[in-house]
Amino acid sequence: MSKSNGFQYFVPVLAGKVVRAAAKIRGGGSAFPGYVTTSLAPNFLRDVTGQFRYGIVYVLGSNGKSTTTHMLTEVLRGHGLRVFTNPSGANLPQGIASSILAESTVFGRLDADIGVLEVDEAFALEFARTVPPSTVLILNTQVDQLYRFYETERVADMMLDTAQQASKHIVTNREDPYLSKIARRFADGDATSGPDISYFGASDAVIAGSPHGLFNATDYRDAGIEAGQHVALAELTDTDRAGATIAVRGEPVDVVLPAKGLHYAIDAAAALATAAIILGDDFSAGSAAAAFAAMKPAYGRGELLAFGNEMVEFVMFKNAASLQLNLDALPEPPEQVLFAIDEGTPDISWIYDIDFSALDHVDVITGAKAWQIALCLELNGVRIGTVEPDLKTAIDLMRAMPRPASGMKTWIVNYEIMMLARKQIGFLELENQR
Amino acid sequence: MSPDSVSVTLLQLYPEELGVAGDRGNVLALKSRLEHAGVEVTVVEHRIGDSLPTDVDLVLVGNGPLSAMRNVYDDLFSIGDHLRAYRSIDVPLFAYGSGAELLGHSIALPDGSTLDGLGILPFRAERVTERAVGYISVDTPFGRIVGFEDNASRWILDPESKPLGILEVGSGNSAGSVEGVLDAGAIGTQLGGPALPLNPLLTDALIGFIATRRGFDYRPSDVNATVDRYATLAREVILANAKHVFSRI
Repeated sequence: MSKSNGFQYFVPVLAGKVVRAAAKIRGGGSAFPGYVTTSLAPNFLRDVTGQFRYGIVYVLGSNGKSTTTHMLTEVLRGHGLRVFTNPSGANLPQGIASSILAESTVFGRLDADIGVLEVDEAFALEFARTVPPSTVLILNTQVDQLYRFYETERVADMMLDTAQQASKHIVTNREDPYLSKIARRFADGDATSGPDISYFGASDAVIAGSPHGLFNATDYRDAGIEAGQHVALAELTDTDRAGATIAVRGEPVDVVLPAKGLHYAIDAAAALATAAIILGDDFSAGSAAAAFAAMKPAYGRGELLAFGNEMVEFVMFKNAASLQLNLDALPEPPEQVLFAIDEGTPDISWIYDIDFSALDHVDVITGAKAWQIALCLELNGVRIGTVEPDLKTAIDLMRAMPRPASGMKTWIVNYEIMMLARKQIGFLELENQR
Repeated sequence: MSPDSVSVTLLQLYPEELGVAGDRGNVLALKSRLEHAGVEVTVVEHRIGDSLPTDVDLVLVGNGPLSAMRNVYDDLFSIGDHLRAYRSIDVPLFAYGSGAELLGHSIALPDGSTLDGLGILPFRAERVTERAVGYISVDTPFGRIVGFEDNASRWILDPESKPLGILEVGSGNSAGSVEGVLDAGAIGTQLGGPALPLNPLLTDALIGFIATRRGFDYRPSDVNATVDRYATLAREVILANAKHVFSRI
C-alpha cells in the first residue's frame, strides 16, 4: 500500500459499506457499493488485493468458472491458506468490487493469503488493470453466447490477452485447440521471461471414452498450426460417476467429485494444476483429496435439493457444451425429467446440435422456450409427456408424479430457471448470498 | 407421380464450419417432412476435399464465424462451377447467414478488405459494427415466418432482385424494411432459430420447389400434426415476446 496506515480508505470504505447495508435492508444484492468505494478511492481494489501473499488468481473460461473457483478455493483452504473468493456467478467487476468491499476493514485491509476470482471473460482484461492477476487459469473455449461475443475466437483472444497479464503463472487446457497454443504468444516460444505456463488435460483414453469428446471449440483460424506436445501438470487419467483419478506431477490423486460428469473431472484437474503450481513443494496430494471429499457442489451445479420426500437433482447448463456433457454424464436415462429454458437464454438454435439419446423421454417441458424445446425433441424422437410453459404449474406437475424408484427427479435447466425453480421449492437464498 | 417412388438427395455444405446455429435442424425438418410424405431421403454432408454428387435436389448451407468462412473458402471456390450448374438446372437452395453471404457477390469486412463470393445469390453483404440480435418476424410470399436473428451484416440486394419478405419485427437486411433474398427457388436469409423447424410453411415451400422440379405430388402428411402444433405455439410465444424481451442485450 502506498500509505500503509490505510486512513485514506476510511471514508470511501465506510461510504461503500453504508450503501451496502442500505441495499441489504431494501432486499437483494447490489454492485453499487463497490462502485461507490472505487469512485471515491480508485486504487482501493489494487491496494487491498496487493496485500495477498500469493496474489490473485483469475479463473476464466466459457464453462465451469464457478465450479473450478469453488474447487480451487477449497483445495487451497485444505492447505491452510486463507482464501478470499467472490460468490459464484458474481463475476463482473462491480460485483467483485462489492464483495472485496464487504470483506475488508474500513482501513482497507482484507485478511487473506490469496484471492481466487471468477471473472467474466469480456471484462477480464479491463479488470486486470485495476486488480492485476498473479495467476490466470483459463478453462476452455466453447461456442457460447454468440449473441454477446459474435465469434468464438474473439472470446478466446479476450482470455488469452488476459492470461498474458499474469505476473507469475498461466495455467490452461492442453486439450483446447485455442488455449493450447498460448506459448506462441510469447516471443521465445515460451513464457520464460514472464509467467510460466502449465497445462491440465485428460489422457487420450479418457477423451476417447467420452461420447462427444470434450466439446471444445474448433480453432479454424490456426487450424494448420500444431499446438505442440505439452506435458500436463495435472492429467485426468480415469473418471467414473463418483470420482476421478488425476495425476499431479505424475502422482495419482483420487478425488471425489462434487457433481458427476467429465467436465467436472476436468475442472478438478484444472484446480489441482493451479494449486500445485501456486503451492509448489507445499502441495499435498492428501490435503487436496481431503478437500474434494468434503466439497459440496457449487450453487445449482449438480446440487441435490429436498423436494417433499423426494430429491431434485439440478442439471444446469448454459450452452451446447455444458448440456451435452451433462447429458453424457447421466448413467442411464433418468426416471422423471423436467426440461426448462426461458428467455434468459435468448438464442437456443444450438439445441439442434445436441444428441439427446441419453434421454428416453421428458416428462415436463417448461419455460418461455418450452414449445421450441418440444419441437426439437419431437423431431429427434424423444417422447414428451406434457408441455407447460408456466414454471410453477410445471413444478406442481412434477410434484404430483409418483415417487421415482431412485427417489430422485432430474431437472435439466438453464441458469435463470435454476434460480426460479430453487425459489419455488423453498430454497430462497440467491447465488451471491451464500 | 406419387411421392412413394421418389428418392431425393439433400446436400449440406460444411456442416461443421458453417453449422454453428443449429443448421442441422433445417436438414432434420426437411428430412422429417419428406419422409412423412413417403419420400426416401439421402443427406449428403459435403466436407472440405469431398467430391459432389451429380444429382442433388436441394443445397443447404448455414452460418459460421469468419475464421470458418476463410477455412472453407478455397474448397467452396473449387466446387463453385458445380454449385452454379445445380442452379442452372433449378436445384433449390436454402442458405442461412454467412453461408448465404459466401454465395452472394461479395462480403465487405470491417478491416476494409472484401471477400469475393460465388455470385449465385443476387446480393452483396457488408459487415457492420452494430449487431442485430433478437426475435424476427417476416411476411413472405409463403406466409409469415419467425425466428431469431443474430448478425452484424447489411445485405444489399441487386436492383432487380427480390427480398424473401417484408420485415415485421427485427432488423432483417438492415437495408430497407425487408429480409433476405428470394431468387426463384433459391432463398438466402438471416432468419435463424433454426428457420425450417419453426416454420413448416417455409419447409413445405422448399419441398414444393423440389416436387415441382422432380415432378411428384407433395402434400404434407397428417403425421406432422404434433410438430406443427409445437411450431405454431413456439411461433406464438416468439411473436408475443419479440418486442420486449431482448431490450437488455
